[in-house]
Amino acid sequence: MTENKKFKASVYGPMVFLILGLSTIIFPLYMTVMIAFKQPSEMTNSISGILSLPKTWSLQNFREAMIVTDFWRSLGNSLLITAVTVALSLALHSLMGYALGRNKAHSKFYSFVYLFIVSGMFVPFAILMMPLAKQTAELHLANWAGVILLYVVFYMPMNILLYSGYLVNIPIALEEAARVDGASTWTTYWKIIFPIMKPMHATVAVLTALAVWNDVMTPLVIMAGSGKNTLPLAQLNFQSQFGTNYNLAFASYLLSLIPILIFYVICQKQILNGVVNGAVK
Amino acid sequence: MQYKPEAANYFQLVEDEFNATHDDIHLTISSPNDAMTILRTRFIREDYPDIIGIGGDINYSYFVDADILADVSDYPGMQNIKPAYIAIDEALELVPKEGTYAVPYVANAAGVLYNRDMFEEHGWKIPENWEELNTLCNTIQSEGVLPFYFGFKDTWTCLAPWNAMAVDLTPADTTKQVNRGQTTFTAEYRELSERYLSLLQYGPNDPFAYNYNDACTAFARGESAMYPIGSYAVPQILSVNPDLNVDSFVMPASDDKSGNTLNSGIDLQFCVTASCENKEAAYEVLDFLLADENLQKYIDAQNAVPCKEGDFVLAPMLDGMAEYIAAGNMTDYQDHYYPAEMAVDAQLQTFLLNQDVDAFLAKFDTDWQRYNRDIIRMVQDYEKEHGAQ
Amino acid sequence: MKNDRQRTFLMITIPILALFICFNTIPLIRGVIYSFTNFKGFGSYSWVGIRNYIDLFSDGRVGKSYLFTFKLAIVSTIVVNVLSLVLALALNSKIRAKSFFRGAYFLPNILGALVVGYIFNYFFTYILPAVAGMMGMNSTSILSDPKSAWIGIVVVCAWQAIAMNTIIYISGLQTVPEDVYEAGGLDGATGWKQFRYLTFPLIIPFFSINMVLCVKNFLMVFDQIMALTKGGPAQSTESISYLIYNNGMSGGQFGFQSANAVVFFILIVCVSVAQMKFSSSKEEQL
Repeated sequence: MTENKKFKASVYGPMVFLILGLSTIIFPLYMTVMIAFKQPSEMTNSISGILSLPKTWSLQNFREAMIVTDFWRSLGNSLLITAVTVALSLALHSLMGYALGRNKAHSKFYSFVYLFIVSGMFVPFAILMMPLAKQTAELHLANWAGVILLYVVFYMPMNILLYSGYLVNIPIALEEAARVDGASTWTTYWKIIFPIMKPMHATVAVLTALAVWNDVMTPLVIMAGSGKNTLPLAQLNFQSQFGTNYNLAFASYLLSLIPILIFYVICQKQILNGVVNGAVK
Repeated sequence: MQYKPEAANYFQLVEDEFNATHDDIHLTISSPNDAMTILRTRFIREDYPDIIGIGGDINYSYFVDADILADVSDYPGMQNIKPAYIAIDEALELVPKEGTYAVPYVANAAGVLYNRDMFEEHGWKIPENWEELNTLCNTIQSEGVLPFYFGFKDTWTCLAPWNAMAVDLTPADTTKQVNRGQTTFTAEYRELSERYLSLLQYGPNDPFAYNYNDACTAFARGESAMYPIGSYAVPQILSVNPDLNVDSFVMPASDDKSGNTLNSGIDLQFCVTASCENKEAAYEVLDFLLADENLQKYIDAQNAVPCKEGDFVLAPMLDGMAEYIAAGNMTDYQDHYYPAEMAVDAQLQTFLLNQDVDAFLAKFDTDWQRYNRDIIRMVQDYEKEHGAQ
Repeated sequence: MKNDRQRTFLMITIPILALFICFNTIPLIRGVIYSFTNFKGFGSYSWVGIRNYIDLFSDGRVGKSYLFTFKLAIVSTIVVNVLSLVLALALNSKIRAKSFFRGAYFLPNILGALVVGYIFNYFFTYILPAVAGMMGMNSTSILSDPKSAWIGIVVVCAWQAIAMNTIIYISGLQTVPEDVYEAGGLDGATGWKQFRYLTFPLIIPFFSINMVLCVKNFLMVFDQIMALTKGGPAQSTESISYLIYNNGMSGGQFGFQSANAVVFFILIVCVSVAQMKFSSSKEEQL
């Protein structure tokens, strides 16, 4: 009996906590959805006004928002940039994280490189902006390829921090076993370490994708004048100096939220699979 | 490239029409968001657009000073531009520079927006001097209506009443006089500051809680009789309440009507960059933009005031200002001379919160010297060379 | 064998490091060079030596922004780490509808700044004062008072950042093998004790990652400021990044703000390196 009760408390406690916490998310989300369906003429400054349902449920705002942002093309650009950045990040950053994580404890050189790169995270973007605009133009990279390249560099510090942190919990014995079998370090990495880091890949993928997906500044500065838009760039159309169409903007933000949410849900499953648990035993 | 994304539709139309009628020149207009950042990054890449459309503010002053813009005084269309606006552009040059560097296109006007229906219903009259304005506010208040709405949470809105009152109460070239060391802001801005402060009592309880959008919505919903802001706010207000009958009047900050002047600055002007290779073609584009029917289309779309001489139909919300516009009684915004990094808007907000006139003015003077150090030195060098004016 | 391993590591490190230097370090050096000029962001400029740095230390506004930023960062870091750790534990426990909850708690992170700004402005300006008024409390907006506006920023920062930190903690919890709990259960370790002595020591690397990321994100806070207060009221919420961007990029202080960025960068690196050194010494203790 007591055993059973205890089990229940450990399940319901978190459940209650989670449901309470959820209200801090549901409420803003509710407001967002309501505003996305309303017309500008339904906007008020009263509480009842903001909570009320729209007069008519019409997808007009969403349709219009898609036209204003040239949705499918901007979405395509955003997807391309995000996908390539994430793929490159997983490959390059995990390798670098591995090289640094395995060596920084005993080698001054690697320890220095590690701190050097991680420090790069703290460079304020504003100071890099002008020099980068100039540099990318000189290298003929003032386009989406340049933007991807910059992202791979910008998120390198964070991702290396994550990967080498994760490696601490992966026993080196695993690699040594493979080495005894005659595998090279390179093969060992791809055959054993890379798959083991799957939960971390998923985490890195989510964080990187999210940062790229929402970023405005980099494409604004680098791709300006190239005639190509990403979704966040196109969404700037809703704001002008003296007026903002919140209704269209909210509809558009809800639309652009969907792809990244789906991506997150897929990755989330990977984070949970807990490959390490099995492997470490 | 032009800097007003809200007019993007208009410029798309112009681009199409121009290209359809001109075979030899291909016009591409981009109306990017956050255009100043883009313009600056294009400058640093040395990728200059041929024509840029910008406002008549301190950025223009900087661009002229940096020799980015070409002299357009030989542009024939220049003689149709109202001299008052050409003078405004000349005044914006940090130190007088030979030549003309921009073709003013349209201006905006800032004063007080009012709810015309509400005024008619209560029989309120448009005030013409400071005393009448105060009496009017008291009357409105006694009838249980809020006279003004403010959206001071957005600091830049603090500048709107300030500018509109400053043109009445201080010389147009106050900042230049200070740069020449002839006066101080403490001397020039005291009355202005005190009068501004006294307007607060006619606004909502906690004006710093509301932003520009809140204030526009509140005014559109009839929560206040007046809203001291520029004509540029009208589209946002009408989006909330399309039936609102809005008009505007000139801010009567002066003790006598004759002392009032309309606060109007260049909202959009076209400059040809120094690196433009085909000036003739650029002028052809300007001719097209300045053609009466195209300018009228812009005015209709944006409630703007034309900078060109001629019979243009103005938007109804400018009725109350028409007299001043017709007479050319207009003075540029003081804030077009303030460097952005000095954050005068935020200082005004601080001042309105703390209500300490002396501290505000003292800080204004010291900050001005600090942020304008290089400009002041430039001005003084110029004076040494050319003799004081 | 050993040599092959070292060669492989070098062949990985060198090219990636070169890429990093090319697009991070070199532009940074160019930026540092601007900090010795009066460059406005365009046009010509002249050398001013260390004038910008001297100005920096005598500028009250810059000083105020440092104080504000550090206050915000410290409070937010604590709030976020506590809440996201609790949340990660809850989301990692045996509950129903796990995916749904995880998805829902991720949402704050994806809503754009415009949406977050509008919603929270509305909340602080209209809803919260009304609720406080109903309970007979002071009913003004906390964002309109220079003394309390920073709290509003903390709330929004935390609300958005918790999602990311929770994900990192969850992936950390995955590295804790089940048998640790089983063994601990036999020793009678449950609840707090289990967490304190079994779980937490194992996820310390993730704790330090989160601390570094928090410090980075909150010391460099920009979006939330733009969305909520734009530095107001009375310049009480101007963060360092806000000043650097606003006055350097939009204003004409590019050179001066580059100097500010350099000083800020050095400071933040010192803080983080100290932090990492501290937590790696903790890791070694275990």
